[in-house]
Amino acid sequence: MTPSDLWPRLEPLLSRIERPARYIDREWGARHVTDAEYRAVLMYPDTYEIGQANQALGILYELLNATPGVAAERAYLPAPDLIELMRAEGLPLFSLESLMPVSDFDLVGITVPYELTWTNVLELLDLAGLPLRASERDDSHPLVIGGGPCVYNPEPFAPFFDALLIGEGEDAIGEMVAVHRRSRETGASRDELFMELARLPGVYVPSLYEPRHDEEGRFIGVVSKAGAPVPVTKRVVADLDAHRAPVCPVVPFVDVVHDRFAIEVLRGCTRGCRFCQAGMVYRPVRERSADAVVRDALAGLACTGYDEVSLTSLSTADHSELEEVLRRLSRRLAGTGVSVSLPSLRVDAFSVDMARLISGAGRKSGLTFAPEAGTQRLRDVINKNVTEDDLIATVTRAFEAGWRRVKLYFMIGLPTETDADVAGIGELVSRVLDAAKAATPPPQRGSVRIGVSISTFVPKAGTPFQWEAQIGLDEVLRRQRLVRESMPRKGVELHWHDAEVSFLEGVMARGGREVSDAIEAAWRAGAVFDAWTERFSLARWTSAFAQVGIDPEDIANRERPLDEPLPWGHISSGVSTSYLIRERERAYQSRTTPDCSFGGCTGCDVCTRLGVEIVTGGVRA
Amino acid sequence: MTPGEYRLRVCYGKTGRLRYLSHLEVVHALERVVRRAGLPFAITQGFSPHMKMAFGPALPVGTAGEREYLDVWLTRYTEAAEVLAAMKRVSPDELAPHEARYVADGERSLTAALTIGTYRVEVDGKEIEETQARTALLELLEGGELVTERKGKIKVFDLTRCVPKDLRVTGRDGGVDIELAVRMGPEGSLRPELLVRRALPPAALQAAAVRTTRTDTLIEEAEGVWSRPM
Ligand code: SF4
Repeated sequence: MTPSDLWPRLEPLLSRIERPARYIDREWGARHVTDAEYRAVLMYPDTYEIGQANQALGILYELLNATPGVAAERAYLPAPDLIELMRAEGLPLFSLESLMPVSDFDLVGITVPYELTWTNVLELLDLAGLPLRASERDDSHPLVIGGGPCVYNPEPFAPFFDALLIGEGEDAIGEMVAVHRRSRETGASRDELFMELARLPGVYVPSLYEPRHDEEGRFIGVVSKAGAPVPVTKRVVADLDAHRAPVCPVVPFVDVVHDRFAIEVLRGCTRGCRFCQAGMVYRPVRERSADAVVRDALAGLACTGYDEVSLTSLSTADHSELEEVLRRLSRRLAGTGVSVSLPSLRVDAFSVDMARLISGAGRKSGLTFAPEAGTQRLRDVINKNVTEDDLIATVTRAFEAGWRRVKLYFMIGLPTETDADVAGIGELVSRVLDAAKAATPPPQRGSVRIGVSISTFVPKAGTPFQWEAQIGLDEVLRRQRLVRESMPRKGVELHWHDAEVSFLEGVMARGGREVSDAIEAAWRAGAVFDAWTERFSLARWTSAFAQVGIDPEDIANRERPLDEPLPWGHISSGVSTSYLIRERERAYQSRTTPDCSFGGCTGCDVCTRLGVEIVTGGVRA
Repeated sequence: MTPGEYRLRVCYGKTGRLRYLSHLEVVHALERVVRRAGLPFAITQGFSPHMKMAFGPALPVGTAGEREYLDVWLTRYTEAAEVLAAMKRVSPDELAPHEARYVADGERSLTAALTIGTYRVEVDGKEIEETQARTALLELLEGGELVTERKGKIKVFDLTRCVPKDLRVTGRDGGVDIELAVRMGPEGSLRPELLVRRALPPAALQAAAVRTTRTDTLIEEAEGVWSRPM
């Protein structure tokens, strides 16, 4: 195959679009492997700005480029202005590094970061000139694989992919590439290739699993073909330190989201919040050692030239050696103008102390906490082990330390929620506001701000709440009104997550394979960039569902009996269903469950099933 | 004048595909070059401390530059050649520095000092012919004035002042190259590409590609006496 360089066709378009630097490659850290017999392109289904900092793609990019004979390149969904020109000029989707048409690659890997990017995935495939569905593709096309946080219910988008990786990709990606290369060499058929792929642990080949329905059209489970395994259980890396964090990632020219050096300090979170999909499906907790974090943070800063390093994870304050890491980093970075940032904070004094350690002079950016619910009863239901006293003490500490704004995240529509719980949000915020003012010197009290962000609870696959009904749109609006009435007016900035967007998320999160028809219909009707509020249209989706005969409310707003087969029943994160049911029952009794990385195993079964264990450097406290 | 700080002037190029960077993107990229090179850069005092660095006049997106300048203040004297080598090692090829020299700390800022840009505008197109292009450009210049409108704002450029030297048009296979100098100022500078687009017949330009490169950025010592800042 001779790579064809599309630059002569792209360049004339660059003077007609916004921010052309997104499309020109040449960033520091971009890899150009020329003598490869196997070429992969890793794609993100949104613009360069949104996708560039994606850590999972960064890891795979590094791993694949380090594999002999393999080259990995990047592609993003161009912004609407370029898409329009590309369609007008017949320019196909291209990779950044070699400006080769995506359809000329051996492997196309797409990460699917959240539900509303499905139409963007279709836009990517179509711009690349590839048939949208696996069943329409053949040996002349690249192998199209996917992965990412959404795969724990892969059904709504399964037909668009040849294979999906469930879980962590560090080990699996190389195995998938090896299988594909071997099948190319031996001239194996596509069916044989799919069979081989399905034999790899964690690899889900949707075409080998057929959803079945009863006479009334109700889903009754999937049948696997040709001995494909059931369930497909997620891949997991036993030891994070076995894979060094990429220390020379691509450094973008344009201003992107999360434009800083990021190091993943731990994976998994076992706090056990019952609404949280990430907390359930990324178990168990595995920490990177303090030495590795410090070493790689410094190496990464030196290699990239960034002036900020972010210690990322689901819950960085839980790292057992965080304080040591921050002290060592502050010492090493003193006088360099480099800042350290923590993406998420727990609601406790320790977190504020950690934030103080790294904030230096500037405390203007504010701190963010997530109490999630307004009353203790409801926080116990969702297992958010935070008390009002914790929250008040934390906020007091923060304002005493000089911060003048905090941001609080809440959800409405949680299971068992009553109007009293909803009103409790505003009441809690008003006590937080009082505490913040009391901790602030009188002359500065006018500048105290509490940001409050309210989203609608969307039940997710693989969690104890996967059977729950999501509240309907009218009910969302009613509870939003309740929140507004209970909220203090002065000193509070209220933000809402769009109710209609949450509804669609809910349908995507728990829909079956038939939802893929609606996704395709919506895309054909012009849906793309649905995550951009100004482009989102619920009406377009409603008519897409109607067109293919799907009742979206039956998917999102109906409580499912425990014995109803679930569309994602053949996919397992390793957490047992009996644990999820037990946690659901405890939720109804407002009984909490402790974090197993602190107090001992609570029996979710991940460790035994996957042959892994919790890895911490020190004792968690 | 800050004691203990050394003002290093670096001449760099913005070429090839990186012509599509905006000025802000160039600034960020070069800050990161300085950090990667491990230079002992000074940090500004104040609420949000940042690298002490200053740039010459901005280049628009799409315009290349062969001799662009920046000043960076170092806290330790390091041989200029050594700094240059360290920066080159960690720069993208198309945004690479090619000269470095210390200058007096009291010297005028680059933006104030550099008021002349010399440009090469390459126009590709079979329809475009050398003599015709030259005549058209000279005619436009003789008109003495160029009016532009951008986002509803009208601007009038005095061409005798803005284009201080005779321009040169050279024909080549498949197009013409135009070389000219432009006087830049705080109130906005005339884009050479605009001048060319105004002068040449739109029909000829339709299918043509136009590439603009600032070949030099200069100090005007006295009327018509120009020099490089290092
Ligand atoms: S199996 Fe036990 S220790 Fe392992 S993640 Fe689950 S609850 Fe925690």
